[in-house]
Amino acid sequence: MEFSRLQPRYSALALLRARLSRDRYWHPLWGGHRLQAAYDVVVVGAGGHGLATAYHLASDHGVKRVAVLEKRLVGYGNVGRNTTVVRSNYLLPENHYFYEDSLRRWETLSRELNYNVMYSPRGVVDLALSDDDMGRLARRGNAMRLAGIDAELMDDAGLKRFCPELGLQAPRRFPIVGALVQRRGGTARHDAVAWGYARAATARGVDIIEHCEVTGVRTAGGKAVGVETTLGYVKADRIVFATAGHTGMIGTMLGTPLPIETHLLQAMVSEPIKPLLNTVIVFIFPGHGETYIAQSDRGGLVMGGHLDGFPSYTREGRWDRMQDVVAGAVELLPQIGGVKILRQWAGTNDMTMDGSPILDRIRYDNVFVNAGWCYGGFKAIPASGAAFATFVATGTPPDLIKAYSLSRFDTGHVLDEPGAGPFPVRQ
Amino acid sequence: MNQLHCPFCGARELHEFEFRKTRANVGSAAFSQVYLRVDSPELSVEYWQHVQGCRAWLLVERNPSTGVVLGVEMLPAVSR
Repeated sequence: MEFSRLQPRYSALALLRARLSRDRYWHPLWGGHRLQAAYDVVVVGAGGHGLATAYHLASDHGVKRVAVLEKRLVGYGNVGRNTTVVRSNYLLPENHYFYEDSLRRWETLSRELNYNVMYSPRGVVDLALSDDDMGRLARRGNAMRLAGIDAELMDDAGLKRFCPELGLQAPRRFPIVGALVQRRGGTARHDAVAWGYARAATARGVDIIEHCEVTGVRTAGGKAVGVETTLGYVKADRIVFATAGHTGMIGTMLGTPLPIETHLLQAMVSEPIKPLLNTVIVFIFPGHGETYIAQSDRGGLVMGGHLDGFPSYTREGRWDRMQDVVAGAVELLPQIGGVKILRQWAGTNDMTMDGSPILDRIRYDNVFVNAGWCYGGFKAIPASGAAFATFVATGTPPDLIKAYSLSRFDTGHVLDEPGAGPFPVRQ
Repeated sequence: MNQLHCPFCGARELHEFEFRKTRANVGSAAFSQVYLRVDSPELSVEYWQHVQGCRAWLLVERNPSTGVVLGVEMLPAVSR
């Protein structure tokens, strides 16, 4: 099939036309481009953040020659490994504004990309098991409301109406006393986000080159002039690293130690079952850990919990953490006790020393790093792409991401949501 | 990686141990000791504690890309 940058616009009418033309209408969404010798911007990493940055560079700032270089395949990394939750229920003002901007973009993303990312505002429910929990959640909810973000503190009666599947009338070992609910939070189809951005970026002239690993940065006169890749040398005016999960390695490659350690977060999905759960539930229960659970549109119960708890690149996930997560899920919803786990996987996370991302220059004036997303990168993709593209195009970080500078660790302006100190594993 | 070999107790399940922190590997300044890390995909040097066993602090060397444990030592022996 011949590749064309001119993607037909998707619509109901187009679907009908496609059927009438015996499906000759469908084209590959990206790919088929040869690596050029020089680019204005080279983005390293075709994940959510890299593709979104490239898309916004081309569409908002009119940057002509943009390439996205990917070691493996589009969406192979964390954008295809996360548990698809989008929300903006943070405590700190800097995170409020950034993640709320992102959530607003999620609401219109399918239209912007002309690609259905299946954003589903089904609500994110943080459960409280004690009065202490209620106090903690009330504080977070109040902080959100002061920033103009929707948050609702529910007692058990309200929760019973909002989420009847929890079966709150039954006696529980850990009684649920209430919850903080963000109704606009929910899920989106993670792969579709990568595909949608890749398609939209391609249509605006971005070259997406898969199976092209960047092995080094060439410099001259105190600035970067290009990247060495497995497909040869590429000249670049500006270089963007969007390699969250492996940014520690980028730091080592550039000779710049970073406030990042690489940890694993695992997730799992059950066999598909009939509709059971209509929200995203976060359940932290005493003595075990954390389970968050949502039901995918295909019917699988998608679950995850805490980090594995030590640095790793293996993408395997430890067995006892999986047991913790499943134990929590069955404690929460006893009716799923007989459901089988279908798949389990893990993603590598850039865990920063304060649990917040890093969007800044690194080492050279024309090298930028979009990193440190910890376990929360997916929901940030739309805002991060737009804001980071502005940063790369203009050289000045927009207000939205000013707080995510590397220098905050020097000056003490860390954004430590849980107040856990400089321990990535506790974030 | 499902087990660690405690020099005192022998091979035990991983859930008996707790990872405490990575050994600082950048310079001697307090700031870099606390915040900065040189990331190596082949070697990670870490402090662990056998919290549900002998409670000894251990120095563990691992390959984070394969999960292979390269060595476990009792911490007092290391610091002496």
